[in-house]
Amino acid sequence: MKDNTRNVSRNRIKSMLTPYGFITPACLTILLLVVYPILYGIYISFFDTNLVNKWDFVGLRYYIQSLTDSSFLHSLWKTVVFTVTVVSGHFVFGFIFASILNMKIKLRTIFRGILILPWLFPDVVIAYLFKWILNTQSGIVNELLIHFGLISEPVGWLSTSATAFPCVILICIWKGYPLVMVQILAGIQTISSDLYEAAEIDGASGWQRFVYITIPALKPILTTILILDTVWVFKQFTMIWLLTAGGPGSSTMVSAIEIYKNAFSYFKYGLASAQSVYILIICYLIGVVFRRLLRDD
Amino acid sequence: MTKKSKNRLTLTIGYLILVIGCLAVLLPLSWMVITSLKSMTDITLSKGLELFPSGPTLENFSNIWKEYPIAVYIKNSAIAVGGSTIFGVICASLCGYGLSRYEFKGKAFILSFLLVTQMFPAVMKIIPYYKILTSIHLNNTRIGLLIVYASFSIPFCTWMMYGYFKSIPTGLDEAARVDGSSAFHTFYRIILPLALPGLVATVIYAFLQNWNEYMFASVLMSAEEKKTITYAISTMADSYRIQWNYLMCAAIISSVPTLAIFVVLQKHLIAGMTSGAVKE
Repeated sequence: MKDNTRNVSRNRIKSMLTPYGFITPACLTILLLVVYPILYGIYISFFDTNLVNKWDFVGLRYYIQSLTDSSFLHSLWKTVVFTVTVVSGHFVFGFIFASILNMKIKLRTIFRGILILPWLFPDVVIAYLFKWILNTQSGIVNELLIHFGLISEPVGWLSTSATAFPCVILICIWKGYPLVMVQILAGIQTISSDLYEAAEIDGASGWQRFVYITIPALKPILTTILILDTVWVFKQFTMIWLLTAGGPGSSTMVSAIEIYKNAFSYFKYGLASAQSVYILIICYLIGVVFRRLLRDD
Repeated sequence: MTKKSKNRLTLTIGYLILVIGCLAVLLPLSWMVITSLKSMTDITLSKGLELFPSGPTLENFSNIWKEYPIAVYIKNSAIAVGGSTIFGVICASLCGYGLSRYEFKGKAFILSFLLVTQMFPAVMKIIPYYKILTSIHLNNTRIGLLIVYASFSIPFCTWMMYGYFKSIPTGLDEAARVDGSSAFHTFYRIILPLALPGLVATVIYAFLQNWNEYMFASVLMSAEEKKTITYAISTMADSYRIQWNYLMCAAIISSVPTLAIFVVLQKHLIAGMTSGAVKE
């Protein structure tokens, strides 16, 4: 009898521990390589340091300096403009293509395969490809425009402050919409076609069906993808770094690049870390706000 | 307008948009292929508009293969990215399964924390990574990069796998448990095979994300013989005079693995995404 209860309680402990057995490998990795680096980054933000032998505690100086520093505020503003336009672009094109691909069309696999292509190429490849296409000397865009007499002198698309930022935005939209498209496509296909047929019988227009059936059914997927895409774009570094490195002047200087330069060009590690903490807080707030706004009532 | 002709009109507009979209995708990409077939004189000395190479040549491909250790770069990428994909997806599947099947303390926190990890600025992680890897002598090693990449893909992959597992009824687990199957055995033998489409989608996602990574490779793998292919491309372009035809060749070579994986697995990708989808 006694033996039996011991067995039972041992089983209970064992089954209590089972879930932790499953999550340990992932959580351990995250703890070591995500949580620790972040805590370390926050720690650095309070020091004037060269990371080797100089560690002067400066308290909140860098946090205050960032907020009074016009270049950081400027970069934040650039980041907001960049994020809003690029994410909107991703969702507009993602939605349009996904809706059409979901209609009864021929060659669907081929269209879908082609439209997914930009996602499959490395950022580095796409960045240099467009750098070449838009190149001032013998770039194909300039060659074509000159050939058809639309411009007389080659334009430095990525080296003129008026055109650099719009070009970077367009390229980032081109590169990033397929992920949103695929997610929406996957979501749409889980919606039962009965719903649409019923709505059609009731006389709902295509637009009404879209607003009252498609959007609500996609809401859970859309919320997550919207949050993730916004945060990813907000932190975008590689494409902009390779295309313009923040220039010309500061016309494409988003926060990620500003921080990278502070850390690795000017070796202001403390300041860069403090600015990173601001980005972290902003991204976190974006997540909270989106979830509030899109929560099911 | 009758319903039928209206439908036809919608469909026509649909095709039109698709064709325009496909052109917008294919034209820049085909320029990459065309450039890679041109000789340097074709590129620099072209007077006026010359779209196509005067004599298309595959010499560029053999030349960069001779001038740069492309095979080494690809091997570095393949080991770090392949290893991190396997390691990351194993961790993510286990964790996703645990989260989808059990109630336990801290579950809600872990779920929301997975999303929060996506919000940490990558720049902030470079310095700590550099310090960690140097202190355990894994700086400039493929193993070091492998671990770092795995930590990138685990959160989102866990989230994806969690979605797929949730769409599989728990009744199956219970039946298996009644038959005396252990928790791990149930996961490995019964539920994981059912989640295969989702697993494939997750593998593709993890592989793509890490194969395409640039910033961390540039800092953590700076030694010449340890460069990954994506980072190597950017250093090829750093020279005072960029050889665009070589660069486009390297770009094509570096894209082949992801394209191949996608072509082979694409059926599963869409099916996998459909069955699970990333839901809250």
